[in-house]
Amino acid sequence: MSQLNATKVEKYRNHFLREVEANVEEGHWVKMCMQCGVCSGSCPLGPYWEHPPQEIFMMIRAGKREEVLKSSSMWFCTSCYNCIARCPRELPITHIMHGLAHYAKRLGLAPQNQATPKFAQYFWDNLYNGGGRVNELKLGLSLYFMNGLVEGIKTALKMRKIGQGMYFSKRMNPFEIFGGHSCKDSQGLKAALNKAREIEEAKAAQFKG
Amino acid sequence: MAEKKLGAYICKGCGIGERLNTDQLANVATREGKMSFVKQHDFLCNSDGVAMIQADIDAGTVNHLVIAACSRRAKTDAFNFADVAISRANLREGIIWVRPATAEAQETTQEMAEDYIRMGCAEVKFINLPAASNEQSLVRHVLVVGGGFTGLTAALEIAKAGYQATIVEKSASLGGVAAQLHKRIPNCSPFAESQSNGIAELIAQVQGNNNITLHLNSTVTQTSGAPGRFEVKITQESGSTITANFGSIIQASGFKPYDATQLLEFAVGKSPDVVDQLGLEALARQANGGKIKRPSDGKAVQSVLFVQCAGQRSNKPGHLPYCSGHCCLTSVKQAMYFKDSDPNIDAMVVYTELRMPGAGGEDFYRSGQNKGITFTKGVVSEVIPNSGSLTVKFNDLILNEAVKQEFDLVVLATGMVPNSGVNIEEVVAAPEEDKTEAKTATAAPVETKLAAESILNLDYRQGPDIPQLVHGFTDSHFICFPYETRRTGIYAAGPVRRPMDMNQAAEDAAGAALKAIQALENAALGRAAHPRVGDLSFPQFRKEGCTQCKRCTVECPFGAINEDEKRYPLFNEARCRRCGTCMGACPVRVISFENYSVDTVGQAIKAVDMPDEFSEKPRILLLACENDAYPALDMAGMTRQEYSAFVRIIPVRCLGSVNTIWISDALNSGYDGIILMGCQKGDNYQCHFVKGSEIAHYRMSKIDDTLKQLKLETERVKTYEIAITDIQRVPQLINEMANTIAKIGMSPFKF
Amino acid sequence: MTDVVATNQTILVVGGGISGMTAALEAAECGKDVILLEKNPSIGGRVAQLYKYFPKLCYPTCGMEINLRRIKANPKLRVITLAEVTKVTGDAGNYTVDITLQPRYVNNNCTACGACSEAVEAQFANEYNYGLNQRKGAYLPFYMAYPQRYVVDPRIIGTADAEKAKSACKYDAIDLNMSTQNIQLTVGAVIWATGWKPFDANKIQPYGYDRIPNVITSVELERMMDPLGPTDGKILRPSDQKEAKNIAFIQCAGSRDRNYLKHCSRMCCTATLKQTTYVRERYGDAGKSSVYYIDIRAIDRFDDLYQKVKADPNVTFIKSKVANITLDKATGNPILNGVDTEGYHRYNNPHDLVVLAIGMEPSVDFSRLGIDIKVNEHGFIEADPSNGGLFAAGCASDALDVNRAVQHATASALRAIQVVNQVS
Repeated sequence: MSQLNATKVEKYRNHFLREVEANVEEGHWVKMCMQCGVCSGSCPLGPYWEHPPQEIFMMIRAGKREEVLKSSSMWFCTSCYNCIARCPRELPITHIMHGLAHYAKRLGLAPQNQATPKFAQYFWDNLYNGGGRVNELKLGLSLYFMNGLVEGIKTALKMRKIGQGMYFSKRMNPFEIFGGHSCKDSQGLKAALNKAREIEEAKAAQFKG
Repeated sequence: MAEKKLGAYICKGCGIGERLNTDQLANVATREGKMSFVKQHDFLCNSDGVAMIQADIDAGTVNHLVIAACSRRAKTDAFNFADVAISRANLREGIIWVRPATAEAQETTQEMAEDYIRMGCAEVKFINLPAASNEQSLVRHVLVVGGGFTGLTAALEIAKAGYQATIVEKSASLGGVAAQLHKRIPNCSPFAESQSNGIAELIAQVQGNNNITLHLNSTVTQTSGAPGRFEVKITQESGSTITANFGSIIQASGFKPYDATQLLEFAVGKSPDVVDQLGLEALARQANGGKIKRPSDGKAVQSVLFVQCAGQRSNKPGHLPYCSGHCCLTSVKQAMYFKDSDPNIDAMVVYTELRMPGAGGEDFYRSGQNKGITFTKGVVSEVIPNSGSLTVKFNDLILNEAVKQEFDLVVLATGMVPNSGVNIEEVVAAPEEDKTEAKTATAAPVETKLAAESILNLDYRQGPDIPQLVHGFTDSHFICFPYETRRTGIYAAGPVRRPMDMNQAAEDAAGAALKAIQALENAALGRAAHPRVGDLSFPQFRKEGCTQCKRCTVECPFGAINEDEKRYPLFNEARCRRCGTCMGACPVRVISFENYSVDTVGQAIKAVDMPDEFSEKPRILLLACENDAYPALDMAGMTRQEYSAFVRIIPVRCLGSVNTIWISDALNSGYDGIILMGCQKGDNYQCHFVKGSEIAHYRMSKIDDTLKQLKLETERVKTYEIAITDIQRVPQLINEMANTIAKIGMSPFKF
Repeated sequence: MTDVVATNQTILVVGGGISGMTAALEAAECGKDVILLEKNPSIGGRVAQLYKYFPKLCYPTCGMEINLRRIKANPKLRVITLAEVTKVTGDAGNYTVDITLQPRYVNNNCTACGACSEAVEAQFANEYNYGLNQRKGAYLPFYMAYPQRYVVDPRIIGTADAEKAKSACKYDAIDLNMSTQNIQLTVGAVIWATGWKPFDANKIQPYGYDRIPNVITSVELERMMDPLGPTDGKILRPSDQKEAKNIAFIQCAGSRDRNYLKHCSRMCCTATLKQTTYVRERYGDAGKSSVYYIDIRAIDRFDDLYQKVKADPNVTFIKSKVANITLDKATGNPILNGVDTEGYHRYNNPHDLVVLAIGMEPSVDFSRLGIDIKVNEHGFIEADPSNGGLFAAGCASDALDVNRAVQHATASALRAIQVVNQVS
């Protein structure tokens, strides 16, 4: 258990709803859900969710902390905003889903083998370490091989034709593997990003919770 | 009354003139109908035609008119003449619109019209113009029984309208249950916060009002009389009694909270920390905005659970089958008591359907959620007292799992039980077999069954309180006429009538106040109350003919008839709704109204020309309730649906007014078939006189004996429940009867 | 019409639906002078368009017949149709009301014989049937219309049809020269019984009312049930006129939703329970109803109906706000997509027909009418002392069922009487 997680568990005990209200972006909206389920039904990725939004809200009220925060569900959110548009109670569901995912990640509870958090992390590392630009080749390969060598080769073979197509249409340069471009003043960008992280963390620490 | 001057007016408009031989109709009216004159007009309902009639009336040449034109339901503005008797022969909707315009149909259609002329003439001859009995007086004073929120509101509304009110309250203080509330649900936007119960202000207003008299520690020990002249004995706890007169009465006797001790599964009585909603109000008043403390040990409550529908909406023995309507709102209000004192208190509501309707309801629900009340769709199965807390077992229906959770306090949303006094149906109702038989031992009806104390102690033949509808509430079964109690001039208001919250009770009190004022104003003029508003006629009976069989007193749906000391019926005109059920009940035919009598209908029946047995022209009598069946027949005409030319239709006030003499007379005079059309009876009755249709059906079930005596087939008499929408069904039923007669043959009783 | 006499003892009732009729009658039967205004050619209002009432499943025209008889018998009550209030000034006990009267083009001579209607050819969408069929350009609004007088549709004025109607009338009842009139009345109190209108279903885009033929509204189903109505009493699918036996009811169609109507319309749950009995009435065991709901708000005594319907094995309740409706082109079936929230079950359920339990919206926007009366955020009139002698009755005050509307209208009649009694 992460130190932060342990702190939060101690602090809120059975009051997961209150924990969410205090720590999760837009979390104070969770109590307004009236369990109509229109968000769950409207989500284009709904069938892949283990727990759809309305159920997550009920689980939060029922104090199912672990189940919610370890759930892969909110990581499926693609920010299409269908749920927000439809919610009869004005809940910013998309934001709450991201807020929950973010909070779970901070607590170290986000699912380890779910593609979205992994991708997000690879994307971020790639950008942050790659001089302000996403190196698509490296990002692609790291995703192919995220589940090990054998899986990676299989995926690469499967994607062969697309790769070839991109190569011939000059959409992909194999030499990017040796470094690739970075933006101007990549150090400046890094400094900016570091500052941003600092501000975010300060903000998180400020939560009453 | 002045001499009857008879005249008939025949309209030739709307195709009547083309389809019918109106000269021949005029002949019939003069020769057979004995009209002193008959006038024909091309367009009787226009200003010229109306002026012609009015001129005749003004000149004194006519005061009893037959208007042979369209239905009595049409052109009412035109044919609206004061102080004359009118019979309308329905040549349009009743004949030319339901008969084909063919040469072969011409003869029977004309015969139909001639009969309607004969019937109209016969009826009008026997109509007398009713006049108020002049026994009335205006008593601008309403008795309000019950000094709770509804009663106080009603009294104040009455006073504001310029009338007097007297409140009789059983207990020592005013305000009833409402006075026990810490706060009430909001009654105006933004419907976000509960508000002061306002009772103290309301009581102050009532006490300061010169038009309101108060009797505390008092009950109504006897109510006799009728609207406009109720005489009420008000008895104090001490035993001293005063008698006062009132024009009308509002019964606002309220409700009792359901006895929660029956709910063993919720540990009621086992733990003081399980309370009902009123129990919680008491705790909240103690706390007075501070932290609510639990009864067991005075610890400030940190977690509270509200159990909705506790002992309600359930068929378990001892539970209430209905929803009490206010409890969802009340629980949200009460959960706010906690949240407002400390947002960190956990307040949870477990419900199956959250019923917070309308604009205010939904706003209040949202406000409750916003304050952090949690709502769980679920069913609570058990409350287990532990040391220091309560374990509650419930099934979360959304997450589909059994849950056990600890709470400091459990509040049960139990229901309302109406204070409706004695259920007179249970006490007085006799077995079906002898419903129409005289019941003699009614003076002291099975005292032991009177578990409930009477509220009104009515000195009425039919029992001491207002009849109940379902679940003990004194509601009526009219959606469009919610104040139709079955005792004229007595209006129930508030939760005794139907489960309701304070907002609705306030409206209900005002509505009942209006009806009470209306009732005393109408009684002062001798006019009937709803639905025959303004009718001045009232039942009269010939004492010398009366056999004291008591059928009229038993069957009156409104308890209008008492018995005098010599056991003769004693009619209370102002209680009467003019349905005529008594007239239908009387085996010796001594009861009649001036404008509606055994004769007005009986003579019309007999006036029909009866072709002989070999004519192949049967005659079918149709007695149609004027509220539903007759309009349906009219609309069958408007939609041009054909039916047999052999039928002769007579509208009746209510099927309950049909006296079996009409049936036996009709059979004896050669009618081949008889149809009776009344309204739906039973639990969902649509009869506007409540029991009329039911009683008529019962009477007709006995008509088979008469038919057998006459050696006639029982198929010749049919009784139906008809709705106003049976526009296609009524012609079918007529035609079915015509077919039946074609099969079984004509009646042998043609003379 | 200009001969209408009114004084500051007169009570004006605006709106001739069940609430307006009730308020007007109850006041008139207390001996007060009452004028009842109706904007349409006939009084009767929304209830006249219902097949049955809940919870008794009886027929609205039954009570209407009684009310019409009360109106016909009461000399204290004047009914003015085709009339709309344009302005109200003054104070309690002394209001001046401007009223615009639209021409009927038919005078008192009309006998309702129907000859004009037969002569006219032009047809228009029938308002009484929510446009489910057509009516003639000269018409009686419905069989129980009061006044029982035909109307000439203003759209045929100036056409040959209007002349045909005129020449078909033997009674000189058609007057094509009638024009709009403005009158002014002095009254003591005004009761607003302006009622409600069904929420515009087109606005609920995910339910495809505008593009999926077999999605209808609850008020349309009421008209379909009328044996003399547009479908002869059959529940027909608009797409292929086949009988619909597997019917979905979607609750809160427009209600309890900040995108549409924020308030709960109260009557829709019980109305749907009632309509499930229609399905059984028509098809017996072959008819199936599925109710998609958030909460079944069959309050107080109406719960009896809920218990009865719940016991019917052919009626299913699904706790779910339906996410959207898609069309199965091959069958014409609407497919309901969503999540049953009780235990999380996804569904894609095809039905023959979908009925939207459409919400209630106040039919008059009082803020636009410029009348000094307190209106809440939902558009309903609030009871407030600042309203003086102006009162709401029925659904102008809140979303109400018929019983509560009548109760409320009766109370409003008293409040108006309190005002005029003070000026006497």
